[in-house]
Amino acid sequence: MQTVLRTDKLTKRFGTLTAVDRVDLDVHEGEVFGYLGPNGAGKTTTLRLLCALIAPTSGGAEVAGFRLGREDTKIRAAVGILTEQPGLYERQSAWDNLVFYGTLYGLTRPTAHAQAERFLRMMGLWDRRTESVVTFSRGMKQKMAIARAALHEPRILFLDEPTTGLDPDAAKTVREFIVALRGEGRTVFLCTHNLDEADRLCDRIAFFSHRVIRIDTPDHLRAELYGRATEFRLMPAPRAEDLARVRAVPGVREAHLENGSIIVEAPDPLRTNPLLVRALLDGGAEIAFVTERKPHLEDVYLRIVEARE
Amino acid sequence: MNGMLINTGIVAREPDRTTLVRTVCVREWREALSNKLLVGMTLLPPLVILAAGIIAVGAAAVNPPSERDVQALYAAAPAVQGLDPKEAVQGFIATYFLILFMLIPTVVPLTMAIYSVIGEKSARTLEPLLAAPIGVGELLFAKSLASTVPSVIVTWLAYGIYLGSVKSLGSEAAVKAVTAPRWILAIVIMVPLLTLLSVNLGILISTRVNDVRVAQQIGGLVVVPVVGLGIAQVTGQVVINNESFINFSLLLVTADAAVFWLARLAFQRENILVRWR
Repeated sequence: MQTVLRTDKLTKRFGTLTAVDRVDLDVHEGEVFGYLGPNGAGKTTTLRLLCALIAPTSGGAEVAGFRLGREDTKIRAAVGILTEQPGLYERQSAWDNLVFYGTLYGLTRPTAHAQAERFLRMMGLWDRRTESVVTFSRGMKQKMAIARAALHEPRILFLDEPTTGLDPDAAKTVREFIVALRGEGRTVFLCTHNLDEADRLCDRIAFFSHRVIRIDTPDHLRAELYGRATEFRLMPAPRAEDLARVRAVPGVREAHLENGSIIVEAPDPLRTNPLLVRALLDGGAEIAFVTERKPHLEDVYLRIVEARE
Repeated sequence: MNGMLINTGIVAREPDRTTLVRTVCVREWREALSNKLLVGMTLLPPLVILAAGIIAVGAAAVNPPSERDVQALYAAAPAVQGLDPKEAVQGFIATYFLILFMLIPTVVPLTMAIYSVIGEKSARTLEPLLAAPIGVGELLFAKSLASTVPSVIVTWLAYGIYLGSVKSLGSEAAVKAVTAPRWILAIVIMVPLLTLLSVNLGILISTRVNDVRVAQQIGGLVVVPVVGLGIAQVTGQVVINNESFINFSLLLVTADAAVFWLARLAFQRENILVRWR
């Protein structure tokens, strides 16, 4: 997989405060990369560094094939950024806002018009294109801001808390948009503290608090910290001998009863689960359903952060 | 979401300088025109000065001056001695209002420039703007131009109307006074220079404060030299001749360069994003 963003001990200090401390990242083309951390962790500063808006104190980065500090204008042309605030010209229309930015990104007038139309239609705002943005809801403004960030078809799209404060419908639109971007091979760098959203959207996740704490796929992080657990719901409720049978199956690391189910942790559930089903049926148990049990990413995050502290 | 994305193969790039300047200017003008308060604050000073000037010249044409006024005028402006008193008074009034016209390029663009920066700061529109592949020096230049051009046009227009009014209402001496080469020179050269000074001062002040009214109060100081010059001329302390016009223009060019340099220093991408609050 091609690397589209690479940092090398990227550091940013403001006086005595180290906001971003020796960050090493490798982000691949076409992936949704989650950048998770608490408020004040330095996520926005990292974004500003990678979009060549502020200069690093030390370290370096290559973004979309361009060196940070040497080819900053090319970096800014190759990326799109959704800032924390939509930052739209509210007295002007949706159409004028997008065409203005299209022109600033060097698009020709017909292309800027075509792109503005395409994104306004995509975001369901075409019918309101001539209205001043000040009349828009927060969700509509956020959609507009995302359209503005993507208007020039950037290779990497940096999104800072894209669904914060949005109603479920608008948040769904934004998430679908991110999935669509990934579908056409664009890279999305998603800054968020919404762990559920990161879990749903991201191929890989970096836990970050001034420094990168861990990077991996959500599933690997879960498996590493919690193992891979499966829930066996029995009807009627499981008996002591059912639990004993389960524990005797090869490959089972741990098993316990919980709310009328047997929870089994096994490193290789694809191999172990069929054996477990057979053992339970042989013992006369009635299985209502078998479900993979995923701990919330929030639990994973908290465990990692606690371990670090 | 309506429809899926398609990869159009568009490649973004830095816009050429002319496109950037034109695009930023047009946006700034649209923004200014949509702000009724700004339009009012921009147009009121020239309208007041213009109306007062026309009324004063017209009044001087209708009402002959008293002997005391004539003696006071001869004392303040010995050059007009020998002229018909009525003509002399009209010429003097017409010239005095031309000095007040020099206030227009200091007041009008200051308000626009302040709104141009503080407005973007308060609306948080600067970060996406700075994320575009454009140079901040060019952005600053475009913003300066966006405030300068309307102000210069308004001043020239006001001068044109004033000239027409003096021609129709005033005496030959008044017409001669307002079409003197040094005044034409002042309108053509000093107006843009004063405007640029005011604009860049406004931008410089706006980088440090967040309140439009505070910025206007500080920026209002730019009118002090112009008003001072007017008072000095009326009281006979300073004689405005061709040499003093050239000296004042050179001083303005130097001040313009210095203030633009200071504004450019303050208008840095990182400063704007990290330090401006």
